[in-house]
Amino acid sequence: MTTGLGRCPCESEAEEQGVTRRGFLAGAAALLAGTIASVLGAAGLSYFVSPAFEKEDENWIDVGRASELRTGAPVKVDYVARKRDAWVVTEKRSSVWLSNLGGGRFIAFDPRCTHLGCPYRWDQGKQEFLCPCHAGVFDREGKVLSGPPPRPLDRFPVKVVSGRLLIRPVDEKGAA
Amino acid sequence: MKRRCRAVGEWLRRRTGCDRVWETLFARHIPEAEGPTAWLYTLGSATLFIFVVQAVTGALLAMNYVPSPDHAYDSVRFINEKVLCGSFIHGLHHFGASFMVVLVVLHMLRVYFMGAYKYPREGTWMVGVVLLLVVIGFGFTGYLLPWDQKAYWATMVGTNIAGQTPFVGPLVSKILKGGGEMGASTLTRFYALHVLVLPAVVLLLIGIHLFLVVWHGISEPPERARRRGEGNPLG
Repeated sequence: MTTGLGRCPCESEAEEQGVTRRGFLAGAAALLAGTIASVLGAAGLSYFVSPAFEKEDENWIDVGRASELRTGAPVKVDYVARKRDAWVVTEKRSSVWLSNLGGGRFIAFDPRCTHLGCPYRWDQGKQEFLCPCHAGVFDREGKVLSGPPPRPLDRFPVKVVSGRLLIRPVDEKGAA
Repeated sequence: MKRRCRAVGEWLRRRTGCDRVWETLFARHIPEAEGPTAWLYTLGSATLFIFVVQAVTGALLAMNYVPSPDHAYDSVRFINEKVLCGSFIHGLHHFGASFMVVLVVLHMLRVYFMGAYKYPREGTWMVGVVLLLVVIGFGFTGYLLPWDQKAYWATMVGTNIAGQTPFVGPLVSKILKGGGEMGASTLTRFYALHVLVLPAVVLLLIGIHLFLVVWHGISEPPERARRRGEGNPLG
């Protein structure tokens, strides 16, 4: 009346021939269970490790039409950077100094002085960038002319895509 | 290699009695049943399996879900669109939930129509009925979490139904919603119930339920059907 735990004589006979009914069923059950477990396991594992395969968001920011940026004096442009953090989008107001060197060459300067991070300004008369905090002076290409700044002005990557000027603000660590 | 495996097994056996645990749980005697009747006996195990799937997929979903009105919908969309296999895991949890309700109801019908709830298994039955309610509770609280239109209005209807109860209705509805209006506190409340309270309750009850199943053994198919030699106890 119960499924026997003991072995019937026929089984031991079959065992000698290789495959028993019990063995076959146990194998089939194990195979099925293994298949189900591996499908579920693989999907679950992919989900768990998916951050490792996340594509880095390039975060190019549109700062206006390239043709509207005249050669000559650098211009300070304010922009709003939208940063995507998983399902959260944060907006950060920031600015950049843009310079049109002519011939499709543009420079985007980090608006922070390389000395201690103060915002600097453009002196139209002297044609220089002046930092008011500790009198750092840079030329229009960002090279240090005088004062304490340890290196030229930091630059952001710039590119022109279908007439729009795009910049990619990166901090010292290179993160967008 | 084989000899070493056997040695490890022997070491474990002497210290944990795992062989006897295995025998008690898995090598126990079960009723001899054939055909459709035999399949009816799988409903409980099937429910247990779906429960494990729900627990695993639920834990994964919780890694990216935020129970807050401003992020709930976006975080679910993030799971579906950005996470590797995210829509598959979410889909498993979503459809698994419906399937689990179907399975527990079928399981209950099987036990009822076979008379398996009778002496000495009344305890198993009673715990099982509470488990059914807990599963429905899981369904109700989980339905709100995606925080889309369907979720919002379904929960509105659900809490309003609770509000129709004589005398205590408005109170119950307020407690369910975590306030007079549905909103942020409803979502956090349902989330806490769904991932903390109900899992604790369900684990405890499943433990008792399974213990009783093993303790009493599985009931046999009803006598009449067995004597006739027909597999179907419902006929």
